Amino acid sequence: MEELFTCVMDIGEQMLIAGAEVHRVEDSVGRMCRAFGYHRTDVFIITSSMVVTVYTDDGSWMTQTRRVSGISTDSEKLHRLNQLSRDICSRPMTAQQIRDGLAAAVDVSSLPFLSDLLCCAVIAGAFTLFFGGGVTEMIVSFFVGALTRIGSFAAERAIANRIFLKFLSTLIATALAFLAVRLGWIPSVDKIIIGNIMSLIPGIGLTNALRDLFTGDSIAGILRFTETMLTALAIAAGYFLVVILGGVLV
Amino acid sequence: MTITEIAQILSGFVGTLCFGILFRIRGWRLCAVSLGGLLSWFLFVILNRWIPNEVVNYFIVALVISLYNEIMARVLKTPTTMFVTTSLIPLIPGGSLYYTMAYAFEGNREHFLEKAIYTLQLASALALGIILAATLTKIVCNFLAARKSPDAHA
Repeated sequence: MEELFTCVMDIGEQMLIAGAEVHRVEDSVGRMCRAFGYHRTDVFIITSSMVVTVYTDDGSWMTQTRRVSGISTDSEKLHRLNQLSRDICSRPMTAQQIRDGLAAAVDVSSLPFLSDLLCCAVIAGAFTLFFGGGVTEMIVSFFVGALTRIGSFAAERAIANRIFLKFLSTLIATALAFLAVRLGWIPSVDKIIIGNIMSLIPGIGLTNALRDLFTGDSIAGILRFTETMLTALAIAAGYFLVVILGGVLV
Repeated sequence: MTITEIAQILSGFVGTLCFGILFRIRGWRLCAVSLGGLLSWFLFVILNRWIPNEVVNYFIVALVISLYNEIMARVLKTPTTMFVTTSLIPLIPGGSLYYTMAYAFEGNREHFLEKAIYTLQLASALALGIILAATLTKIVCNFLAARKSPDAHA
């Protein structure tokens, strides 16, 4: 019994790490526990922590807590974990089977750096065009996006703080945009920076925060909201720093 | 439809596709998400012809595209959140957010306030559309589940 309970906690933890919203994880954990025949399940989850207590029919109870960290969005992993939890609910599985299923679901090869780089560059270029930039601006933005990603990738090893990384990325992108203007390639920095901040601004985080708040997961929502606000502030700070320094130096 | 509008729709589509790849969405799910990205801006451009209010249009597009995504996520048996938020990426007000920031730096109070309020309006319209779509789908699903098995509680 305890083994199965630990498996459920593992699945929940991995779902949170893959970027699932709190509501979904609470729902899945609750369903799996019910499928195992616990007569009462109390689930409390926020983005960084899980507390689950189950009550068995013989009057005993178990509690496990998890501290969750290192969230990185991975839709493929989430999809597989979701499938696994559906399977568990629809037919009985042994602890070993669940552990094998979990290992298979988590074993998703990470995106190769080159694809990651290309995606970031194309996003920057595409959104520069989207927000009214010309073809020259799009090309400049493409390369600024690529260089920014290389810069943030190099910094990732040294700095674990995600908010500071966003600050650094904005700093690099803004500096490069001003450099391109200096060199006379483009008339203004506006479109380049807009294209590049599209992949930095926490638009998705904000939407998820509001969703959490509206569905009643207030604490998770407030945590997420605070994080998005800090990220936005970090981006503005990166931009301001370059503009101020540029004003002093030039 | 002008060249600029077509370029916008296509670049919005390409941007959404790349975000989908970054979030590790694969196969049919990636196709559905990118198509949502394409449709979202297409719908916005079309709506702008009839309704001269961008905030209202943002709300309508967010509602329609979220409903499309809620349905697609159920068809493809996958969590909805990633789907909905990725398809609506072209609607993220990156431009007005940038100008808010730039005006704040210039100390241009009037323009700053105007842009800040506008950005907030767009973001709220977007969130409201998404949440309304999620609630509507939930009600319909609960209703269908209740009809299928009257004893089960939702």
